[in-house]
Amino acid sequence: MISHPISPVKTYFLVWLTLVGLLLLTLGSAYLRLGWLNGAINLGIAVAKALLVMVFFMHLRSSQTVLRIVAGAGFLWLAIMIGLAWTDFGAR
Amino acid sequence: MAKELNIAAQFEDAGQQRAVADLGIWIFLATEILFFGVLFTAYTFTRYHHPGAFAAASRLTNVVLGSSNTAVLLTSSLTMALAVRAAKLGRRRILTAWLAATLVLGLAFLVIKAIEYTLDYQQHLVPGINFTYAGPDLLRAQYVELFFYLYFVATGVHALHLIIGVGVVGSIAVLAARGAFSKAYFTPVEVGGLYWHLVDVIWIFLYPLLYLVARA
Repeated sequence: MISHPISPVKTYFLVWLTLVGLLLLTLGSAYLRLGWLNGAINLGIAVAKALLVMVFFMHLRSSQTVLRIVAGAGFLWLAIMIGLAWTDFGAR
Repeated sequence: MAKELNIAAQFEDAGQQRAVADLGIWIFLATEILFFGVLFTAYTFTRYHHPGAFAAASRLTNVVLGSSNTAVLLTSSLTMALAVRAAKLGRRRILTAWLAATLVLGLAFLVIKAIEYTLDYQQHLVPGINFTYAGPDLLRAQYVELFFYLYFVATGVHALHLIIGVGVVGSIAVLAARGAFSKAYFTPVEVGGLYWHLVDVIWIFLYPLLYLVARA
């Protein structure tokens, strides 16, 4: 049997509090005039929130390596799709 | 014994069966990332070429309802994670309660989204039905409309995923209440949970891209 460690309830609530904090941060920052930084902050916070959900709520922290590879592959192929499309649409 | 634990004939034990179920759902979730990825790709290039139109369009979205829905969905992920935890510990009542909470939050998201769509309709933001944009620049209006095409397709397909999620969580909640799960067998709860969290992850990206482009 593969062992499945069970996180304490406290961990889940802390992750949730962080997620809500990040939501307020991204919302608040959107009302500051920061130029290109607005978009970068929004995207950075979205990535952080997604990672928190995937690592803690979806248990990638403690899951088999193959699951992390599959999860990563999804995003890798997304990056390839946008990256290759960029060579055309980005240059028009 | 194996039948009691719901282990299919092709598996050695419950652990192997769970590992295969986890791999299966993750492969499906990876395809979901690419399914929504097409929309994110279209968004990226349209926004890159028409930043002004996207900024103007994003200001027309309802940031109060959009942000509330983000909070609702993040909280539903917490209750879902706690449901999976309760399932692992074999606590039937707590499991059922957390699943019910997740279900209620999922429905709340859909109700808020429906209200938002109604307001969007009243503000003439629905492309193909009643879209009107009173901007000075006709070319810009075209790309504001394109933003709303993406907005409705992305949030619509996301809402469809959530409706499916509500059905899945509802079914699992009924099974849980009937005592279908135990410490040794809770694969449906775990797999349903992973799907639920991914729908949340998709929204985490949709939220800033649709609602927060240029608020300042």
